[in-house]
Amino acid sequence: MAIACRWVAGVVLLAGTGGASAADSLFDEKVKPLLATHCVECHGGAKTKSGLDLTTRERTLKGAESGPVVVAGKPDESLLVHLIGEKGDPHMPPKGQLSEAETRVIRTWIEGLSEPPTVAAGKPAKSDHWAFQKPSTPKPPEGREWGRNGIDSFILARLDKAGLRPSAEADRATLVRRATFDLTGLPPTPEEVKAFVEDPSPDAYERVIDRLLASPGYGERWGRHWLDLARYADSGGFHNDLDRPSAWRYRDYVIKSFNADKPYGQFVREQLAGDEVDPASAEALTATGFGRNGPSNDDNVGKTALDREKYRLDELDDVISTTSAVFLGLTLGCARCHDHKYDPLPQADYYRFLAVFNSTVKKEIPLDADGRLAGITKQPKTKSTLMALVEDGPKARPTRLLWRGDVKNEGPAVEPGVPVMFSAVAPARFAAPASGAKTTGQRLALADWIAAPENPLTWRVLANRVWQYHFGRGIVASASNFGISGDRPTHPELLDWLASELVANGGKIKLLHRLIMTSATYRQSSRSNTEAAAVDPDVTLLWRMPKRRLEGEAVRDAVLAVAGTLNPKMGGPGIKPKLPAEMLVASQRNKWPAVTKEGPEHWRRSVYVYVKRQMLFPMLELFDAPGASQTCDRRPVSTLPTQALVLMNDEFMNDQAGRFADRLLREAGAGAPPAALAERALWLALGRAPAEGRVADAVRVMAAQSAAYRAAGKPAIDADRDALIDLCHVLLNTNEFLYVE
Amino acid sequence: MPRWTRRDMLMNTGAGFGGLALRWLLGSDAGAYAAAPQAPRVNPLAPKPPPLAAKAKRVIFLFMYGGPSHLDLFDPKPALTKYDGKPIPVFKPEDAFMGGKTRNAAMASPYKFARHGQAGIDISDRYPHLATCADDLCVIRSMHCESNNHAPALFQMQTGSRFAGRPSMGSWVTYGLGSENENLPAYVVLMDHQGAPVNGALNWSNGFMPAAYQGVPFRPTGDPIAYLNPPPGVTDQRQRTRLDLLGKWNEEHLAANPGESALAARIASYELAYRMQSSAADAVDLAAEPASVRELYGLDQKVTSHFGRNCLLARRLVERGVRFVQVYSGGNEGPKAWDAHDDLKKNHDLHCAETDKPIAGLLKDLKSRGLLDDTLVIWGGEFGRTPTAEGGKGRDHHAKAFTMWMAGGGIKGGTLYGATDDFGYNVTEHPVSVPDLHATVLHLLGMDHKRLTYPFMGRDFRLTDVSGEVIQAALA
Repeated sequence: MAIACRWVAGVVLLAGTGGASAADSLFDEKVKPLLATHCVECHGGAKTKSGLDLTTRERTLKGAESGPVVVAGKPDESLLVHLIGEKGDPHMPPKGQLSEAETRVIRTWIEGLSEPPTVAAGKPAKSDHWAFQKPSTPKPPEGREWGRNGIDSFILARLDKAGLRPSAEADRATLVRRATFDLTGLPPTPEEVKAFVEDPSPDAYERVIDRLLASPGYGERWGRHWLDLARYADSGGFHNDLDRPSAWRYRDYVIKSFNADKPYGQFVREQLAGDEVDPASAEALTATGFGRNGPSNDDNVGKTALDREKYRLDELDDVISTTSAVFLGLTLGCARCHDHKYDPLPQADYYRFLAVFNSTVKKEIPLDADGRLAGITKQPKTKSTLMALVEDGPKARPTRLLWRGDVKNEGPAVEPGVPVMFSAVAPARFAAPASGAKTTGQRLALADWIAAPENPLTWRVLANRVWQYHFGRGIVASASNFGISGDRPTHPELLDWLASELVANGGKIKLLHRLIMTSATYRQSSRSNTEAAAVDPDVTLLWRMPKRRLEGEAVRDAVLAVAGTLNPKMGGPGIKPKLPAEMLVASQRNKWPAVTKEGPEHWRRSVYVYVKRQMLFPMLELFDAPGASQTCDRRPVSTLPTQALVLMNDEFMNDQAGRFADRLLREAGAGAPPAALAERALWLALGRAPAEGRVADAVRVMAAQSAAYRAAGKPAIDADRDALIDLCHVLLNTNEFLYVE
Repeated sequence: MPRWTRRDMLMNTGAGFGGLALRWLLGSDAGAYAAAPQAPRVNPLAPKPPPLAAKAKRVIFLFMYGGPSHLDLFDPKPALTKYDGKPIPVFKPEDAFMGGKTRNAAMASPYKFARHGQAGIDISDRYPHLATCADDLCVIRSMHCESNNHAPALFQMQTGSRFAGRPSMGSWVTYGLGSENENLPAYVVLMDHQGAPVNGALNWSNGFMPAAYQGVPFRPTGDPIAYLNPPPGVTDQRQRTRLDLLGKWNEEHLAANPGESALAARIASYELAYRMQSSAADAVDLAAEPASVRELYGLDQKVTSHFGRNCLLARRLVERGVRFVQVYSGGNEGPKAWDAHDDLKKNHDLHCAETDKPIAGLLKDLKSRGLLDDTLVIWGGEFGRTPTAEGGKGRDHHAKAFTMWMAGGGIKGGTLYGATDDFGYNVTEHPVSVPDLHATVLHLLGMDHKRLTYPFMGRDFRLTDVSGEVIQAALA
C-alpha cells in the first residue's frame, strides 16, 4: 500500500527547508540517534526497505518510495508516528516497541516542523491545472474560409498552425453509413443510402441526423457507451459470480434516458440520489443501480464483523472511484490510502466522498407485476424487484479517515463535502438534513454540485465523452482522468465551447450530437495522405475522419441486420444466445442454457446479451467489450487471430450467412440471376454501390462453387444456395464490413 | 477436419503479404515498455526483447487452488504436535475465515517430514517424487497476502490486486515480452478436471489491456481452442474458396486505402488464424510422446493422469514458445480444491497424490531437455492454512504466512528463504509479499517491475502497483 503523494512531498520539503532551525537541531541531537538504533538496519545504509531511508533529515522527510512518512506539524497525521504506535500495522520496528519517551521525541520533532499549506486541514488547495479552473467562454475564431459551424473554426485554426489542411467531404454513401453506425450501431439499409444519395434538398443530411437521433436504436447504442462507464453487468463477478436477476432494469433505464434525451443534470441526480430526488418513482430508484453495478462477493464475505465492514468499504470504494471518474474525470479512488499522487486531492477528500455514500444500504425493492413500486403494505405477488442503493433514514453513519485505507487504523472524523480544492466556490461541507427529512440528503447535495452549470469538470467531461465516441478519441484522450496525470486537451478552447453549448442547451445531449455531426470536421473523408500522416499520424488534429473498427456489439448487430434476422424487441431480462458447449462445461457456476438452435429470441441487439462477468460472450469479448469489473472510458482496439477464427468458424456466423442468403433469394424472387443476387448482397453488407469487379468476382466464385457442389451430388437449387452462402459469409468477414470510414 | 493451407491464405496475395501486413506481423517498431496500443499499429504479440538481462524466457505457474497447507508440506512445526488440541499464544480470532468454527486449538500435522537434497529442504512424505527435486527448489516460507478469502486472495495472487479487473500476471508478461510463437496463444490456461476455480475467467483476465493479452483456456478434449475449426458442413474446399475471395477483396480494399495499418493487421490476423489451426492441434497431440515420458508424468495412472496430462501439455506449450502457462490443481470449490476445511488429511492425501509425480516429472523432463534453465516454474496457492483446527480435522484459510516455491530459470536451487514462528502463524524472517513475488518473476524475465507499466485512465499501472522488492536471495 502506498503512503502519500508526491505532490505533498514537495510541499513538505519546501515547508521543512523554510525554517524550523529548532527542529533541525532536535533532529540531529535526538531523533537521528533514535532512528539509527531502531530503524536504520532496514531503512538506511545498505538496505532501504520500501525506499525509506532514515539516515538524514532530508531523506526522512522525503519519505518512502510511495510517499512521505512525516506530515510537518502534524504528528497525528504522520505515518511514521502511526507505525511506531502500539496499533501500527505493520508495526515498526517489527520486533519491540519504542518507549513512550522515544515516541514523544519523534512527535515533538514533527510538531516543530513548519506547518504545510495543506489540504487535510480543509484549506483550499491551489492548483493552476487547466481542468480545475472555470471554463473559458471562447468564441469560435472568425474569418475562416472553411467549415459549417463553430467546431470547424477551432479545428481549422489548429490545423493551420500545424500546416495541415482539412480533407474534402466524404461521399454521401460513406456519410450515411458513418452517421447510422455512429448513432444507432447498425448499418443503413440500401434504401436509406439511396434515398440520401438522391435527395437534392439542402437539409438532406440534417434530416438524416434527426431521423437517427429519433430512432430507438440511438438509446441502445449510446446507452451501451454509458453502460461501459457504469461497469454494468448481470452478475457479481467474484467467487461464484452470483446472478443479478433485476440488474437489467438499470440497463433499460439508461437506454430510455438516452432515447428521451433526458437532461444530463437529471440523469446525474437520479443515478447518485434517485431515492432523494423522488422516492416514489421506480425510475429514479432504478437509476441508483449505478451504485450497485460494481463487482460483488455477497455469497462469500468472511464470517467476522471486521470482514463484513471491510467488504462494505470495498464496495463503497467502487462507488466512489466510479462516481468521481465518470462524472468528474477525477481519479479520487487513488486517494483511499494516501493523498493523491498527482492531483491536489488529499486523502481526506476521498473520505469526504465516503461520508456522502457511507449511510447507503443495498436494497432490493419489490415491484408489482407492472414494474411499479409495490405498496409497502401489500405483499408483492411477483418476485420482481429493482436493485437500488438508498438510505434508510436521516441519521448519518459517522465517517473517519482510515490511515492507509485500513479499517483498523482510524484517523480523524470527516464530514461529507466536495474536494477541498473546490471549496472556495462550493460548500466544503454539505448541509445537514432538514428536520423531518427521510434521508441524509448528502448524495443529492453532491449530485447538485456535480450537475451545477458552473462545475468546472462535469460539462467538459461529458462533452469530451460525446466527442470521443464520435471520433474515436476525445479532445482529452484520457476521458475519465482530467487530472494532472491525464492527457492535455488537443483543442482546449473547442472543449470549453462545447461544454458551454451543452450547459446552454440544458444538458441535452442530442443537440450536441447534431452540432458535432453537422460540422465539416465530422463530414470529412477518412482517406489518408502521406504528407499529413507524416505530420500527425494519429490524426489527433482531425485533418481527416479516422477510420474505425466496429465494436463487438456492432459487429454482431450488423450481421443480424444484414441477414435480415435482427429482432428489434427492446428491454427486459438479458438474452443468452448459444455458447460453445465446451465453454459451458468449463464453468460449473453458470446458469447459461445449452441452446441447440438459435431463434429470434436470441437475435436481439447485443446490448441485451446477458453480461456474465465470469463468462463474457465470446464475440463481444474478443472484440474488446469491457469486462465490467471497473469503469471503462475507452475500449482498446485489438486485432487478433482469435477474432478471425470466430468470424470464420462460429456457427452463428455460418447460420446467419445462410439466413442472409435466404433473405436474398426470398427478396429477389425465383429465377433472379446470380449477378442481381450478388449486387444486392454487396449493397446490404457494405452500404454502397459495389466497387468495380466485385459483382463479377462474386458471380465467378458462385458459379465455380455451385458446380463443385453439384458435382458432389447436391441438387441444383441447394448447390446454388450454398454458393450464395459462401458469398454472404465472405462479405461478413471483409474489412469493409468491419470498418466504418 | 478441414484445414486451411498456407497456400490458400497466400494464393491471391502475390508474393505473400504486403509490406504493411508483414511489418505488423513482425511488430518491427515495437519496443519493450511500449506505450499501450490504442490502435493496432504493431502486432501486440510480436516478440519483444526484454529490456534487462533475462534468466527466464517463459513461465509455468502450477497453481494449487484452494490454499495448500504450508504446515503439512514444506514448513514443519513440531510445536504443533506438542500443542496438539491446546491453544497457541499467537492465535487471533479475527484471522480465522470461518469465525467460530476455527477455535484456538492447535492441530498436529498428520504427515512426517524429512530433509531432502544437499540443501536439506524439508518436504513432507506426501511429496516423495518432488522430494527428489529438492535441490532445484527455492522454497519461500515467508509468503503473506492481504486476504484470507478465496476470491480476493486469488485475484491478488493472479493480478496483484484483491479486486476484480486488473490484468493477470500472464497478461503483464505477454504484454511485456510478446510471444515467441504467434501461431499459438501467448498465454494458456489449463484447468483442473473439477472445473474452473472461483472467479472463473477473471483469474486470467486481461483487465484493462487489449484482448490480445488474455489467458486462453485450452480444452481437455476436442479442439483445444474455441472456433478453431469450421462447423460441420463447411468442407476444406469450401473454406479455402471463401478465404481466397476474402483475401482478394481485402487486398484490393487495402490498396485503395493506403497507409491504413489496421486494415493490414486484420489481413495478417487471418494468416495467424490459419497457422493457429495446425499449431494448436499439434501442440495438444500427445500421441507422439513416448511411453517413458507419459509414465514420467503419471499418465499411466488414474490419479495422476489429468494433472499429468496438463503438466506434459505445459512442457509442450513452452517448448513451442508459449510465454506463460497456468496449470491449475483443484477446481470448483471445497474438497475438489485444496480447501481442506473439513478433513485436511483426506484432502491433501488426494491432491498431493494427483500432483506429486506430475510436478516432479515436469521438472525432470524440462531439465533433461535443457528447458529448465530458462523456464521459471512457480508452485503455490492463494494462501496457506491455519495451525489451529477447524472442526476437528480441518484447517482454515490463513493469509499471514504460507509457502511457495520456484524452480528453473534464474532461480537458486536448494534455497530455503524466510521463516515463520513456531506455529507457522506469523512470518518472522524475510517477509515476502505478493508484489515481491511478482517483482521477482518479472525480474527473472528481464523486466523491471517499476518500469513495466500500462496506461489506463491516465495512470500508469503496474503489476506490483506501488510496492514490490525482488527477492535477491532467490536468484542464482
